[in-house]
Amino acid sequence: MRTSAKEKGSSGQIYSRGNRIVRWILSVVYICYTMITFFVLGVTFVDSFKSKSELAVNLFSLPQTWVATSYATLFGKGNIFQSFSNSLMITTVGTALCIFLASMTAYGISRYSFRGKGALTAYFLVGMMVPIQVTVLPLFLIMQKLHILNTRIGMILLYGSQISFSMYVFAKFFRTIPVALEESARLDGASDFTTFIRIILPICKPVIFTMCLITAVGCWNDFYMPMVLLSKKAKQTLTLMIYTYTSQFIRNMDVCFAAVVVTLTPVIILYCIFSRQMVEGITGGSVKG
Amino acid sequence: MNKKRKKRRNYLLFISPGFIMYSIFIIVPIIYVVYLSFFHWNGLTEKTFAGLSNFQLLFTDQKIAPDFWHAVGNNLKYLLCIWFIVTPLQFLTAYFFYIKIPAYKYIKFMVFMPYVISSTIVSFFATMIFNPNIGILNRILKMAGLPQGSWFGDIHQAFKLFILIVLWQSAGSGMMIFYSNLLDIPRDVLEACSIDGATEWQKFWRILVPLSLPSCASTIIMSTIWALSVFDLPYILVGSTGGVRGVLDFVNLVFYRYTFGSVLNAQSNYGFGAAISTVMLFVIAVVTAIQNKVLSRFEYEN
Repeated sequence: MRTSAKEKGSSGQIYSRGNRIVRWILSVVYICYTMITFFVLGVTFVDSFKSKSELAVNLFSLPQTWVATSYATLFGKGNIFQSFSNSLMITTVGTALCIFLASMTAYGISRYSFRGKGALTAYFLVGMMVPIQVTVLPLFLIMQKLHILNTRIGMILLYGSQISFSMYVFAKFFRTIPVALEESARLDGASDFTTFIRIILPICKPVIFTMCLITAVGCWNDFYMPMVLLSKKAKQTLTLMIYTYTSQFIRNMDVCFAAVVVTLTPVIILYCIFSRQMVEGITGGSVKG
Repeated sequence: MNKKRKKRRNYLLFISPGFIMYSIFIIVPIIYVVYLSFFHWNGLTEKTFAGLSNFQLLFTDQKIAPDFWHAVGNNLKYLLCIWFIVTPLQFLTAYFFYIKIPAYKYIKFMVFMPYVISSTIVSFFATMIFNPNIGILNRILKMAGLPQGSWFGDIHQAFKLFILIVLWQSAGSGMMIFYSNLLDIPRDVLEACSIDGATEWQKFWRILVPLSLPSCASTIIMSTIWALSVFDLPYILVGSTGGVRGVLDFVNLVFYRYTFGSVLNAQSNYGFGAAISTVMLFVIAVVTAIQNKVLSRFEYEN
């Protein structure tokens, strides 16, 4: 059953022999390409268990003795814990805020009719078209004025306000929920807000999860905003910490490898478990094979 | 009556928190940056109105303008690479997933993976591999007895390598969007096509490309905007000056140097930085508008 499905093409027809060979060749080419990723990740992992002197001699060999001195040095420096908790806090709270605001706004826009609705929708989509690099200078000044420059709360508010994309996805999803559901809740005397929290949000748990995942990965990996807006060392995130180490690669080689492994591991594990949901997230929440 | 009005007003409850936050952090900065571009200001003393002199400095100054135009050229070169190399490859790969080449699920999983890797780490990987002294690639070449390169130190290779790294890191997301658009194409059209005896080649060009192009339009526009605002990778890879002879110098790096790096007369001039941002904003708006027009014409024809 499975093998016959495998040989069928996009519209269900059986491929000719020549076609099948071409498909296999393509597949082999792509599989070779994916080896690059394995290679890079593998070398990094193995190298993180070499001693510093061995690293300096050769990056491309198995360690003569497997040692964890790189990790000891990294954790000995202490600021990894600070950076990790900064990253974790900014990512989780920022994501939660962003998704909450985005879902609420999307609900307001897709469930009520009022004047200027089209203009408001367009207003909220501007954020997708204007890259942050263009507005970073005024952001810097505004955050300075509000005394949230170089603070975690500032970054959280900033990430929390990047609602355009999630709002768009939520609005698309809300349109598929039948209105009857809310009406029955309303007849039972629930306020609009209660209806939203108790009825609507539970329905869109999968969408919420998907959007959280995508937003969180974006926050966790973001480099530009923390670099400009979180220049204090005590407030720096993991990506910034890695940047400071890698910018002096030769001097900190051992720490670099360990820090990269520590930062990358949670994301890669998350990806292995939830790759499907992540893909759904970036394709705008469409649920497809 | 009262109740009805109350109900109608409820949308404000839902929209205003998001609206306020979004306005402060997204919309106000856009207006503010345009406003600032007309002033001289170092951030400490009073702003002084400068008219268009910031723009004049940017476009005509003997020291700054060549830097700027060189960066604009690089941005265009990068944009062309995105349009004519990266996007077609993304679409082709999506097509291969669509026709389910063997092991396509595994390939899909691996090709998308670098999307979750931060650009600082991607640059670290690049250093690990391409560093001319200790990098892995030169090591392997040496073992094989082949000539070694200086990679990012070589002005003829740096840009190509950069495109390869971009391809590896960020092609996955666009691929997935194209793939999901292909899956949206109604099956019966393709079946009718097969019955009429169309070859795979004909199906690809006559059905799949034209029918998925409209939904791919927004992705193409988004990758254009990202291409125009590229910053992270070149900055981390080769530093804020854009590498050897500015081979990887982009407008955003110029912006960063002059705004936060105080290259301009050894003091920061926020007005001048804002002028660069304003130009970018303008370019993005124009390019997006043109693309929208062109891509929507395709939609109309179909």
